This record gives sequence, C-alpha cells and structure tokens, in this order.
Amino acid sequence: MEWFAHKWGIIDQLSPFMLQGLWITFKISIIAIFFGSTLGFVLGVLKTLQIYSLEKLINTYLHILRGSPYLVQLYIIYFVFPSFDIEWLNFDSFTAAVVSLSLYTSSYVTEIVASAIFAVPSGQSEAARSTGMTKAQSYRYIVLPQALKMTIPPMASVYVIVIKSTAVLSVIGIAELTRQGEVAIMRMPGDIMFIYSLIAVFYFLYCYPVLRFSKWAETRFGTLGIDLE
Amino acid sequence: MDWLQSIFNFRIVFQYWEVFAQGITNTILISAICLVLSLIFGIFIALARRSSNPLIWRPVAVYIQAIRSTPLLIQIYLIYYGLPSILPFGNFLDETQTGIIALTIHTTPYMGEIIRAGLESVDRGQIEGALSVGMSRKQTMTNVVLPQAIANVVPPLLGQTAVLIKDTSLLSIIAVFELMGAGLRMFSETVIATESYVTTAVCYLAIYAMMLVISGMVQRKLGGSAWQAN
Repeated sequence: MEWFAHKWGIIDQLSPFMLQGLWITFKISIIAIFFGSTLGFVLGVLKTLQIYSLEKLINTYLHILRGSPYLVQLYIIYFVFPSFDIEWLNFDSFTAAVVSLSLYTSSYVTEIVASAIFAVPSGQSEAARSTGMTKAQSYRYIVLPQALKMTIPPMASVYVIVIKSTAVLSVIGIAELTRQGEVAIMRMPGDIMFIYSLIAVFYFLYCYPVLRFSKWAETRFGTLGIDLE
Repeated sequence: MDWLQSIFNFRIVFQYWEVFAQGITNTILISAICLVLSLIFGIFIALARRSSNPLIWRPVAVYIQAIRSTPLLIQIYLIYYGLPSILPFGNFLDETQTGIIALTIHTTPYMGEIIRAGLESVDRGQIEGALSVGMSRKQTMTNVVLPQAIANVVPPLLGQTAVLIKDTSLLSIIAVFELMGAGLRMFSETVIATESYVTTAVCYLAIYAMMLVISGMVQRKLGGSAWQAN
C-alpha cells in the first residue's frame, strides 16, 4: 500500500511536466505531418507524371531519406546546415526538429501517394481523357479523389511513425515527452523503471488508437500492399 | 582541389577511416545478430499468434501492440537504465549486449507479423489439395506451404532488415560503438560537424545500397525458382 502511495505521489508530481511534454510531442508531430504530407503529396503526384529525369530525381531523394537513419538526418540538419553560412539555414533546435521530421515524413508520404495513384485503374484516367478532360482535370476530378481515399490507412501508420520518431528529438534538447522523462529521472533517480514505464504508457495511449484506426481504415478503404517501417 | 578541400575535408575523413570501418563492422554485426535472433523468436511469435488458445495468443498480441506503439528509444532506455535499477544483481551486461537485447525485443514482433502474413498468404486450397493427394502434414508443410510462404516473406523481411540496420543508430545514445558512434567520436575529437556526420550518412547509404543489391538478387532468385516450378 505504501508502495502504491509512493508511486501515486510520483505520478501526481510529474503529470504537469509529462502533459507539457506530450503537448510538445503532439505539436511537433502535427506540424511535421502537415508539412511532410504537403511535400510528399506534391512529390508523389510529380512521380506519377512519367517524366524520366524527374522520377529519377525523386527516387534519389527517397533513397537518401529512406537509406539513412533519422538520427543522422537530424544531426545533419541541426549541426551541418549552420556551417553553410546561409542565414536562414541556421536553425534553432525546434525548427531543425520540424524541418528534419517533415522531410523524413515526406519520404513515406511520397511513396504512399505515388502507389495510391498507380493503384487507380488506368481505365479511369483513360476514360477521363477520352471524354475531353485535360490531364490536369483527369487528375483533379477522377484520379486523385480515388487515390486519396486509399492513402488514409497508410497515412495513419505514418503518423504513428512520426510520433515515435519525435522521441529521438530529445537528443537535441527538445522538451518533448522523452526529454521530460529524462529530466524527471535526474530529479528522482530512484524510480528510473517506473518513470520510463510511465512515458511508455503515455506513448502507447497516444499511438495505439491511431494504429487501431489504421487497421479499421484498411477494412474500410482497402490496402495498398506497401509495407511501412 | 583547394576549393573542394575547403568544402569537405577529405584528409580528416581519411584519418578516421579505421574508426568508420570499425563502426560499419559493428553495425553490420549487431544487425546480423539481431536479425537471426528476431527471426527465430519471430517464428515462435507468429505461431503463438495463430494459436487458438487465448492464454497463448492474447499475451503475444499485447506484446506486439506494446512494441509497435512505443518508440524504440524508450524501449532501449527501459532495458538499459530501467532493468538494472529493479533487478537485484544490477547491471551485468555491457552496452552492446543490452543494445542487442533491446533491438531484438523491438524487431521480433515486426518479424513475427511478417512471417504470420507469409503463412496466411498461402491459399487454404493449396493445403487441402496437398492433403487430398495423400501428402502427410509434414510433407504439405515442407513441399507446399513453406516454398510459397518463403517467396512471399523474403521481400518484406529484407525491408525490415534495412529498418533494423537504421535502428542500430539509436544504440549510439547508450554509448554502443557502431557507425553512428564512429561519427560521434569523430565529431567529439575534431569538432567539425560536416565531415563527421556527412561521412556517417554516406556510410549508412552505402550499407543501404548493398541491401538493395542483395534484395534485387534474392528477388530474381525467388522469381526464377517460382518460374521453374510452373
């Protein structure tokens, strides 16, 4: 019983900091998924236009982002970019976090959007073109509405990846959930296991519903057959 | 060549090539060990997940969801900092061993889900057909189910292995010496960020390129055998 009271005391004492950390995790992940999806959507559409050099260029971009760990990308954007002597590349830690996470997200979204567009039967766009629509119109009114519906389940998985990636941001000193936990442990070094478990529970409560939604959306909107992570 | 030297100092990178070679070796070694372990455990996870006994599949499902819904960094912290603080015998493993354990625990559910999907991808009719022509259960498994399942499983497994290699970079945070650790060491000794981190990234991309080549070869091989079977 005493053990229980002790642990409850820790929760009571830490919850304001934890909630603040959760808020920053939420904020960064939302900003990153917004910019990442926008960039990824544009690149994904460009990739399906079947312009050879453009496709090669986008594939190179994807390979670089998918082939290196997020931690390395974060370090490069936070530590290497300022050495270029360009004023606006001199990011503070928050901007560096958002920029790197957005780029990282865009690599997933590009692939999802491109494969969703390819998954729309080619008869759809052919029929649209043969009724006199321009290529832009067939994309706008026929292909994209069908494709975007199919991106919903994998986008939810991408959002979970983004949330999990924000934990890495603690290494550049962003005060998100993981960082708050590290600070809490400096204050109460006796309860390492409990505090980290608490953080894990916070992440679980945040990510699990999104994963469930992704699963449900798969039955509703169908799968694209691409594996993330 | 002076302008190039002022942008990217190759001389310093060459001074550190041994550190990076060691880092790459360690990264590949750690990933290989984790890959083998998580494949072995993944098979058990996949079989347990398919079990009809709720006492078996429910805990496994909880484990899978718990791992998938929490960041790897937290899992590493839990095992590296958390476990020794509650175990009576304290910290008896070094960083690398702890890192391998943490990564294995993290990767096993993903491998298990891939294997399970592979087993389920084989059509029931295939099994029924094999049994009805008089094959035993064991023959059905080895001659009909497994060859098809493996062909379906290998591409996502290779993808997961690429993720595993990238994930080893997080072990540098608990001071395991691997590729990212090599970059961090170079940075701490020379304090030039560009050369240290860009070299690290290039090394990771080289490993990734190697993975792409291997996966292309394997896919051709599997495609070839499937074609011969027809």
